[in-house]
Amino acid sequence: MALTAQNVTIRFGGVVAVNGMALDAAPGEIVGLIGPNGAGKTTFVNCICGTYRPNAGTALWLGRELLGLSPHALLKLGVARTFQNVASLHDLTVLDIAKLGAAARGDAGSARSGGFFGSEKALEAELTETLLRPLYLADVAHTPIQTLPYGRRKAADLARALAAQPQLLLLDEPVAGLTSQEGMAMAAVIRGVRDRFGCAVIMVEHKMDVVMSTCDRIAVMAAGSKIFEGLPDAVQSDPEVRRVYLGEPG
Amino acid sequence: MGTRRLLLALAVAAVLIALSLLLGRFGAYLVRAVAIAGIGALSLNLLIGYCGQISFAQGALLGVGAYVAGNLGNAGVDGVLALLGAGVATAAIGALIGLPALRLRGLYFAIATLAAQAILEYLFKMLEPFTGGVSGLVIRQPAFFGVPVASDQVSAAVSVLVLLIAWLALTRLTRTNLGRAFLVVRESEVVAKGMGIDVARTKAWAFAISGFVAGIAGGLIGFAARLASPEAFTLDLSADYIAMIIVGGLGSWAGPLVGAAFVVLLPEAIQRVGEAFDIANLLSALRELAFGLLIILFLIFEPRGLSSLLPRLRWAQPRRRGAAPSLGEPGGAAVATKGGERP
Repeated sequence: MALTAQNVTIRFGGVVAVNGMALDAAPGEIVGLIGPNGAGKTTFVNCICGTYRPNAGTALWLGRELLGLSPHALLKLGVARTFQNVASLHDLTVLDIAKLGAAARGDAGSARSGGFFGSEKALEAELTETLLRPLYLADVAHTPIQTLPYGRRKAADLARALAAQPQLLLLDEPVAGLTSQEGMAMAAVIRGVRDRFGCAVIMVEHKMDVVMSTCDRIAVMAAGSKIFEGLPDAVQSDPEVRRVYLGEPG
Repeated sequence: MGTRRLLLALAVAAVLIALSLLLGRFGAYLVRAVAIAGIGALSLNLLIGYCGQISFAQGALLGVGAYVAGNLGNAGVDGVLALLGAGVATAAIGALIGLPALRLRGLYFAIATLAAQAILEYLFKMLEPFTGGVSGLVIRQPAFFGVPVASDQVSAAVSVLVLLIAWLALTRLTRTNLGRAFLVVRESEVVAKGMGIDVARTKAWAFAISGFVAGIAGGLIGFAARLASPEAFTLDLSADYIAMIIVGGLGSWAGPLVGAAFVVLLPEAIQRVGEAFDIANLLSALRELAFGLLIILFLIFEPRGLSSLLPRLRWAQPRRRGAAPSLGEPGGAAVATKGGERP
C-alpha cells in the first residue's frame, strides 16, 4: 500500500470529528470515501493533507509520515488535493492556476520555472497539452477564472493539483455542484487521470452514481469512524450502510 | 508582457524624458515629483494591491531610503550605487516591518505598521549622527556614473528613467510564480496554504521587494530635495501614497501612476485656479478639504480607481467575452450549467 492511514483522530473541543479512522490507497486505485453530512470525510482529508493537525494517528506514504507536514511540504512529496469550494481568484487565468500547481512542486528545472527571466512559453504549451486539453480547458486557458462557470472552475482546480504531478491525489467532492452531465464528464476525467498518471486517488463524494462508476473500492464513514469498506457492489447491499446513509429501498 | 505594451512604455518614457529636458524648471519639477511619487506608489501597490498587506509605513520607508542614499552620496558614493544601497537597506527594514504580518492580518497588521511608522519617525529625530536630527540631513548634489546632476531637467529625466525600470520590473514580476502567489495570498491565505504556497515566504518577499523599490524612490526624493528631514516623511506622506493607489485603482499597474499624477498635480491645479480667480488665500485654506472631498467622491463613484476609466475611454475596444462554455462532454458539444453554488 502506498498510503496507510491508521487511527487518525482529531478533536475540536469536545467534538471528536474523526475517530480512529483508517484508510489505505494503492497506486492506480480510486478509493471512494462516502458517508452522511458531518461524518468527518473532509476533516479526514484535511488531516492527511496538512490543513489540520490530528490529535493522534499515523499516515504513512511510501514509508514517510505525512501527518503534521505543511501542504507545501506534502506537495513536494507528491501529495496534492482539490477543494470542495473553489475560491474565485481575481485576475488569475486558468493557465495561471495551473502554473501555481506546477510551481508548488518546486521543480528546479529552468524551463519549467516561473522565474523573473526567461519565457514561460514552453511551460504553457506543456500544461495546455498535458492538462488543460484533457480537462476541456484548453479553449479558456487565458480566461480569468472568476468569469468561468462552476464546473470549469472545479476542472481548473483539478488541473492545478495535477500540475504538481502528484502520486497521491485527494479530491474533495469533485462532482458536487455540477450538473449530472458535467459530473459524468468529470468522473471520466478522473479515471483518465488515474490511467495516465497511475496515481492513487482518494475521492470524497456524495453522488452515488459517480462513486459507483468511478471507484475501485469504497469506504463509508459515519460519526467520525469507518463503518464499512469494500467493493462498490458490496456497499450497496450492506445493511448498516443502508441504514445510516443510503436509506432502505421502498 | 506583450511587445506592444513594452514599446508603449518605452515611447511614453522617451517622450517624458525629452519633455523634461525641454521644460522650464517648474515643468521639470512637476515631472520629477510625479515620477518619484509614481515609483513609491508602484512599490506600495505591490504590497497592498497585489499581496493584500495594508501598510501605513510607506512614508517612513521612503525616509529610510532618503537618509541612506543621502549619507552614501555625501560619503562620495556614486548616485546609482547610493540608490541601490538605499534600496537594499529599505528592503531589510521593510521585511522587518513585515514580520508581524506572519501573525496579524488585515487591519490588525495595518495598526502594527502605524507603530513602525511612529518608531521610524522617532529614530529619524534621534539618530543624529546618521540623520542630522530634527534639522535634517543636508544632501550634496548627486552624480550618476560620475556625471553630476546639475539641473532639475536632468534629475527629472533620471527619475522618469528609474520609474520606467521599476514599472517594467514589477509588471514582469507579476508574471512569475512569486507574482501569482502574491495574488492568491491577497485573496485568501487559507487557499494559498492549501495550494502549497509558503505564505510566510511569499509575504516576506512582498515586503522586501516593495521596500527595495520604496528605498530607491526615497533616495530620489532625498537627491531631489537635497534634504532629508523628519517632517518630510510623516504619516501624512503614507496617507498620500495610500490615496494614490486607491484613486488610481488597486492592483492594476497603470493605477499607481495615474494616482501619483493626480495626487501630486491636484494641489498645484487648485493653486493655479486660486491664482487665476484671485482667491488663492481662500483656496489654499480649502486645499486639503477639496483634496479629501475628491478622494471620497472617487471611492463612492469610481471605487476601482481612475485607471478603470481608461479602458472605457477606448471606444474601439471590444466588450469582454461572454461566459465561457462549461466543462464539455467527451467528444460532445459543451453542456450548459447554471454555474451556481453547490446546494
